[in-house]
Amino acid sequence: MNTLRGIKNILLNNLVVFIFYMLSFSTFERLKEISDIATFSFNLQMIIVYIYILKFPSHLGYGHIFFAGIIKDVVSGLPLGTSSLSYLVLCLSTSYIRNATLRPKMTAEWIAFIPALFFSNALFYIIITNFSHLSFYYTELLQNTFFTFLFFPFFYFIIINYQKNFIKDNA
Amino acid sequence: MADSRDDFIIAVRYALLKKGVKQKFSLFFLIIVSVFILILDKLSFPVVDSSRAILNDFVYEVTYITSTPGKFATYLNEKKNDHFNVVSKNKILKEEIEILKTARYDNLYLKTENYSLRKVLELGNTHSQKDEILIKARVILDRESPYLKSLLISKGTKHDIIKGMSVFSKGYLIGTVIESNYLTARVLLITDLNSKIPVVIQDTNVNAILVGIGKNTDLSLEYLPDGFVLDPNKIIYTSGKGGFLSIGLPIAETYLDKKNNLYIKSLADPQQASIIYVTRGQFNK
Repeated sequence: MNTLRGIKNILLNNLVVFIFYMLSFSTFERLKEISDIATFSFNLQMIIVYIYILKFPSHLGYGHIFFAGIIKDVVSGLPLGTSSLSYLVLCLSTSYIRNATLRPKMTAEWIAFIPALFFSNALFYIIITNFSHLSFYYTELLQNTFFTFLFFPFFYFIIINYQKNFIKDNA
Repeated sequence: MADSRDDFIIAVRYALLKKGVKQKFSLFFLIIVSVFILILDKLSFPVVDSSRAILNDFVYEVTYITSTPGKFATYLNEKKNDHFNVVSKNKILKEEIEILKTARYDNLYLKTENYSLRKVLELGNTHSQKDEILIKARVILDRESPYLKSLLISKGTKHDIIKGMSVFSKGYLIGTVIESNYLTARVLLITDLNSKIPVVIQDTNVNAILVGIGKNTDLSLEYLPDGFVLDPNKIIYTSGKGGFLSIGLPIAETYLDKKNNLYIKSLADPQQASIIYVTRGQFNK
């Protein structure tokens, strides 16, 4: 019984890492059901990185973020290290916000997501334009950033509730 | 002012260097590693290229396995839709057969005429046995990315697939090989923003460049002569300029939408391709 409980705890504790890697392998950008509406594309990995580094830094290691970024680059055909660097810059901004925040509030964290996203995507854009011959619509990157910001509260409540209800050391 | 600047520097330094609970690496270390990898990838040393090819093969295989449940769900959905559409499809197919039967006689006539004219002009047969070798491959991944419209296929350098080969689906060109690993390869689709193909338009001598616009089947023409008006229902063929592709491969056609706007669409739907053919002969330089 104890063994089963232990396995269950390991699975629940590492679910976010598993989902994070799965997102890298699938290069998830939007829901397939609304694939005709490309404007709804958003970066779920950035939301996960931001929330976990901000609220539960012990559950998602920087090493996992780095490796997931490398995998995403391979699957997407981007220069190796682009997504990793982009996510790590997001981690840096988030870590700074965490250290500078005295009284955490969802709205303040949501607003602080804007500069964090800005630095991360600016770096992504700089790398793509200088380190590769790829061309893409800049408006798509802007839309992606906007919807990543917009969907933040939805995933914030899901993750916070998941951590409260299923992960014991955060209850 | 100086105090707040010091505080900022201390906070950034703390965020960079502090490992935190259960963190095995510091952010600073991983950022340096990422930059190092990025530079190595840009410099493209032979060792780095072969290492990347191995990494690509491994990641593509894992991605293929992880995408299987999703593919199975899509397959079931398609089968269900096919089942319900079978009667209407049968009616359309019967009509198509009648049209094709008529077209076949025209083709036979043109083929004979072409053969006779070639004989008169003393032109050799451009198709050699070696040229027509095709490598059949399976699409293992067709993930949509906003930055690159590409497919991953199940054959690589082991099966003689090299960078620059042309890829066909259902007889139509869908893209070119841009990356070849040992067991897998990446195909850049003609619908991608980075795809540029020299073409000629049906019933004209007008040359242009066919470029992708990042949509599923829609394409665009660049470098058309000033004042040239494109007509609907015209087939666009490869011009063979630059020796990249052979002449006369049908790629796209012009059409009018419901609002009478003229668009260009690919003859094949690259996103629907599951079995593709890679050529290493005539269609390749």
